[in-house]
Amino acid sequence: MIPEIGYFSLVLAMALSLLLCIFPMWGAYTGNLRLMRAAPSLAVGQCLFVLVSFAILIYITLMDDFTVAYVAHHSSTSLPWYYKVTSTWGGHEGAILLWLVMQSSWTALVAMMSNSLPWVLRARVLGVLGFLGVGFMLYTLWMSSPFERLLPYYPVEGRDLNPLLQDPGMIIHPPLLYMGYVGLSVSFAFAIAALLTGKLDNTWAKWSRPWTMVAWGFLTLGITIGSWWAYSELGWGGWWFWDPVENASLMPWLVATALLHSLASTEKRGIFKSWTVLLAITAFSLCLLGTFIVRSGIIVSVHAFATDPDRGLFILSFLLVVVGGSLALYAMRVSEVKSEGRYKLLSREVTLWANNIFLVVATLIVLLGTLLPMIHKELGLGSISIGVPFFNQMFAILIVPFALLLGIAPFLRWKQNKPSPLVKKVVGLAASSLLLTAVWLYGSYDTVSALTFVATALAVWITLGALLDIFEKVSVEKQLLHGFKRQSLSYWAMILGHVGIAFVIAGVTLTSAYSVERSVSVKPGDIALLNEYQYRFEGVKEIRGPNYSGHAGVVTVLKGEKKVTELYAEKRLYDVGMQFMTEAAIDDGFFRDLYLALGEQLSNGYWSLRIYHKPYVRWMWLGGLLISFAGFLVVADRRYRKRTHNKKMDGVTA
Amino acid sequence: MNAVLMMLAMAMAMSLAVYSAEDKYEFSTPERAATFKELTHELRCPKCQNQNIADSDAIVAKDLRDKVVTLVHDGKSKQEVIDYMIDRYGYFVHYQPPVTPATIILWVLPILIVIIGFGFIVFRQKKASRKQNWSTDDEKKLAKLIAQYQRKEQQ
Amino acid sequence: MNKKFLAIIPFLIFMFLCVFLYQGLFGNPRELQTGRIGQTMPSFVLPDLMDEGKLWTNTDLLGDVYLLNVWGTWCPTCIAELGYLEQLREQGVRIIGLYYEQAYDPDFGDHFDIDALRTEVKTMLKRAGSPYQFNILDLERTLALDLGVSGAPETFLVDKEGKILLHHTGDINPRVWRAKFAPVIQELSQ
Repeated sequence: MIPEIGYFSLVLAMALSLLLCIFPMWGAYTGNLRLMRAAPSLAVGQCLFVLVSFAILIYITLMDDFTVAYVAHHSSTSLPWYYKVTSTWGGHEGAILLWLVMQSSWTALVAMMSNSLPWVLRARVLGVLGFLGVGFMLYTLWMSSPFERLLPYYPVEGRDLNPLLQDPGMIIHPPLLYMGYVGLSVSFAFAIAALLTGKLDNTWAKWSRPWTMVAWGFLTLGITIGSWWAYSELGWGGWWFWDPVENASLMPWLVATALLHSLASTEKRGIFKSWTVLLAITAFSLCLLGTFIVRSGIIVSVHAFATDPDRGLFILSFLLVVVGGSLALYAMRVSEVKSEGRYKLLSREVTLWANNIFLVVATLIVLLGTLLPMIHKELGLGSISIGVPFFNQMFAILIVPFALLLGIAPFLRWKQNKPSPLVKKVVGLAASSLLLTAVWLYGSYDTVSALTFVATALAVWITLGALLDIFEKVSVEKQLLHGFKRQSLSYWAMILGHVGIAFVIAGVTLTSAYSVERSVSVKPGDIALLNEYQYRFEGVKEIRGPNYSGHAGVVTVLKGEKKVTELYAEKRLYDVGMQFMTEAAIDDGFFRDLYLALGEQLSNGYWSLRIYHKPYVRWMWLGGLLISFAGFLVVADRRYRKRTHNKKMDGVTA
Repeated sequence: MNAVLMMLAMAMAMSLAVYSAEDKYEFSTPERAATFKELTHELRCPKCQNQNIADSDAIVAKDLRDKVVTLVHDGKSKQEVIDYMIDRYGYFVHYQPPVTPATIILWVLPILIVIIGFGFIVFRQKKASRKQNWSTDDEKKLAKLIAQYQRKEQQ
Repeated sequence: MNKKFLAIIPFLIFMFLCVFLYQGLFGNPRELQTGRIGQTMPSFVLPDLMDEGKLWTNTDLLGDVYLLNVWGTWCPTCIAELGYLEQLREQGVRIIGLYYEQAYDPDFGDHFDIDALRTEVKTMLKRAGSPYQFNILDLERTLALDLGVSGAPETFLVDKEGKILLHHTGDINPRVWRAKFAPVIQELSQ
């Protein structure tokens, strides 16, 4: 009975969503204020019903109701309770429901926080969000209900959650990612509403910006955590494989990053108007496209989701309606827009254009690399693979001009700059970056390849550029503290974001260049040496977890005579699925990670053991955290809060 | 730096003297070991979802790994090993796509977009700055207009 | 005019992409085209599965069109297709087995028991169908690697001169046979 309530609750949510998409839109079209005023309550209402439905799914999972197919396939009685909760988004049906939860919550949030907007715009934004909600709800109810029953023959025990997903990283990774995707649907809704209203001025950019920033912050965090999860859980120390699923989340991120910068220009200078709208549409379209790629199984990926052509067909049709429709609308409306604003070649405007070009090209590379193997085969040209070497090569080239630009970006003012003081600064910065990099790298490593040097120097360049700019801006004031306070939060967000990128570049470069590994076979007492560390294999002991058993290889790590740590590299066998899982042991540090993975048992008491020494690997995720923090910081900016107050007045008069 | 080296040398000597773990794959030169590592990261396991042969536990990945070891031991270059594998498993086995008329788009399109994009920037900027041209003629015109307006107001 | 044209480009690109996405829904991303098609059978010297005294080489197989079926008793799909393969044999198709032993891995210090394997193969063939003229034992999977085999079952179609015409991954069933193999064989017999 209870699962049926969950299903029914979703039906009600869809009914409300349908009304949300029809009434306010119609009201905005005919100028009927009463219809438009219905939007916020409808938005909140559909959200409540979706939440009820989700709560019921969690409840039946906790109650081990194996008559429900989803629970039987993704949970088991022995699963710890917190993993039972997370198992509600460990499978396809539940993941889509989680997406829906996010979608409807954001819709409700927009409804509640947008009372300063003019009604015509507010109604349209909510209407678009309502339409998206209907699409996802229809999909859930029709194609992938998590409440489907297995009656009359149901199992007494569930099939358990995929062991790969039984990890803290996995608890938060999908919700964060979906927060990002769904958040971008708000930017999308703002863009469509602006197109429908026909007013592509800088006001929509102003409203859309904080939402986009937050969405982007979540997306960044989601990708960062996903990478960290892959690193700690997959057992071979990899953190990015250019797998279609990873690419599917990277593409919206790249476009959203371009969008942020272009939104800033549209808001402050009234330029890039039509381009910004196109980016907002593209960012969300790529979220949908990514979902399609991942869920339809058209591309071979490490993440094997259940595939079903009917589901793929539905998502493709939805994609066609949403993306095709909005791009058609764009084509019809945007040619009326005129860009104003005057600027010289050496100006912030031009750097932002360049930034956008590089980000779009990066997106294009990822998109081509992801889809071309499929297209290549469809054209009857045979199978090809596009992976790590290709992407690494292309991104290594692209990052150079991008990072060079990023380093000087903070100095450039709008409109125009005098070249001579800039040249002086650039020369000084370049010289000190090269010097610092040389000291750093040659001081710690015997060999430094040209590529490593350049990439590290770029990271240093960005950081020094940011520091110099902080110094110049802050030292305008007599008192340092005053100077710090004078800068807006948006400014600090920019600095944080850019320094975050520098950390990512440095982390990726150095860990790629200087990671070393050994694959050894050891018996108790053996010592393996890797860099300055000795790894003494003490033996293997039996372990027993709540739903698995297995072995843990005990390894003492020594540096010289000193004991650094003792690590337990586990090999688990999960009870229900009888799947083996490698649980790597990691000694993390700011400058290096020691990473151990236990392999198979060999003959004569030998075990195979893989040892990795990964310098600076954490910097990458630290960079990701800094970047996402930048996204959240902007929201706290007083400018936005103030502006929404002012807009309240505008809203009344409009 | 020197201290680290010293310690490293000492530790190495010690571990060699006492007991040492056996490497799964041993190579005569560090270059060959590096070639092996690169190859196992660039060759794709043909049976798996999407994994290279270094990370896959599939039996065919192991066979390919062993074959790579043999070929590298024989002194084959990286490209020779890749060709050997492509000969048997097709282009699918290598994560770097071949350059063919169909795949050239992978490189050409990004370059094209960069060129078009920067062309566009220059074009737009020219247009934008042209508006800004404010000649002495314009100045005179403006002065005239202002004067007219002021006269009107006074009347 | 010019601006209108520019504005419609994103729409057109998207629609173009959708055509491929739609087609992709009905393709099989796991189906591969490997490198050996059109080349001659690699040379090998391998023992018979049932009699290690008997050695087979690539020249022994020349002279007639044949299917080389890669299989193993550990692989359920291979067992499942034995019945249909037997039917094909009865229709006059020459089928040679390439026995792909998965478990054998000297690193694990495995002991390979050829006698146990032979009994297992015999009972299996008796039970599920016996399509093979003979079986080649590829214990270390060297021929398999030379052929670009990634698992089992896989089937090659080889012509009289030893040229490889087809490489099919996955099982052979009436649908695959009609669509993929029968037309090529017909062309050969003409």
